[in-house]
Amino acid sequence: MNELIIPYLLTVVFVSFVINLVIALYGIFARPTLVKKIIALTIFSDSLNSLAIFVGYRVVSGRVPAPPVVVNYTSPQGPAQLAKVAVDPLPQALVLTAIVIGLAVTLFMVKVTMQVHRVYGTTSVRKLERIEYVNKEEKSEGVVE
Amino acid sequence: MKVTDLVVAASIVALALLLSYAMFLGGIGPVPVRSELRTLALNYILLTYNPVKVVYSALAPEGVTAIVWDYRGLDTYFETAVMFLAIISVVALTHGCKVRIGLGKGGMSLIVKTTTRVLMPLIVLAGISITMHGWLTPGGGFQGGATIAVATVLALVTYSIDTLAKHGIRKRVLLAMRSTGLIGIALTAVALLIIGLAIGVNAYIFQNQKRIGSPLAFPAYFSGTPTGGSLLFYNLFEAFAVSAGLSLAIIVTSLREKEVKETLRGEGVE
Repeated sequence: MNELIIPYLLTVVFVSFVINLVIALYGIFARPTLVKKIIALTIFSDSLNSLAIFVGYRVVSGRVPAPPVVVNYTSPQGPAQLAKVAVDPLPQALVLTAIVIGLAVTLFMVKVTMQVHRVYGTTSVRKLERIEYVNKEEKSEGVVE
Repeated sequence: MKVTDLVVAASIVALALLLSYAMFLGGIGPVPVRSELRTLALNYILLTYNPVKVVYSALAPEGVTAIVWDYRGLDTYFETAVMFLAIISVVALTHGCKVRIGLGKGGMSLIVKTTTRVLMPLIVLAGISITMHGWLTPGGGFQGGATIAVATVLALVTYSIDTLAKHGIRKRVLLAMRSTGLIGIALTAVALLIIGLAIGVNAYIFQNQKRIGSPLAFPAYFSGTPTGGSLLFYNLFEAFAVSAGLSLAIIVTSLREKEVKETLRGEGVE
């Protein structure tokens, strides 16, 4: 039973990540509000990060896989024992920096959105489009020779 | 919650379950989750703490920190640079905004304030602990620094931006702290190179332990406990820089509406 259930559940996890990515992409493209675009973008990056962690996962029969930390480092066999049960450390290392950069970039986007709201009174991309259009007209009137 | 929302959510879940069942039964088969490590991962795990093969090892038991700051150190350095560019952009957007002290009496009730006062040192302590065990247990400079930044956010919400400014957590101080952290990381990266140039020995940038062709190394043990050599310094400076940088970005993001608007209109005092 376990041999069938565990691969199926892992497939569910994988497919859920992919569906999450698609929904987040829909949010980024279809929602007009900048705030919702930012939320969708964070969902997108988080799903991608989780997918990267999932790529580094491995099935260890009979137990939960261990984090890549040599706990028993005083004995010479420590790393070899760990290698039998540990997950892949490389995706974790890559995701670690991605998360922190993502946080800083999200803060930047939030700040820009706040400034946009202060200046134009809206964060809707469709309304912003119209505001820009009006300004262009005013400008072109001044430049006509 | 509308009925349509429920229907959409239920159908998405059903889609995920059925699609995975189809994948599972169909020709593609289950997602290929490995039961064996990749060769690259095996190398990292076998070499991250290996006193016998020091020339390939970081001498740090924690594999992820060893990869982040030793094996792929240059990558991480530039990734950190990207993060700080984002923070500098946040600060640049509010250039000229000044926090006027004494405007708001703000803050939450006495109960919340007292709880925060008790919690804040504990959060900072937890952050320092995560940082200082970065090469022994999961964690490190990024995580510890982000944890410390949480204390600032808590203080900002429960007290006010005034109180933080009164206690010396200002833009200029945080910028200086952040820059100190970055300079520390850069100096640690070239420390062995400078020593090597001074005494005429070969050395590499981002070198931690002895490498082929270079006998120089950071001290790998402190009273019998592994320190991961340069990882200790990287984690310390990184925590310093990340905590200051994130606090700065959050403080700048929560500036008072009135002051920012004044600056935007050009009425602000520089």
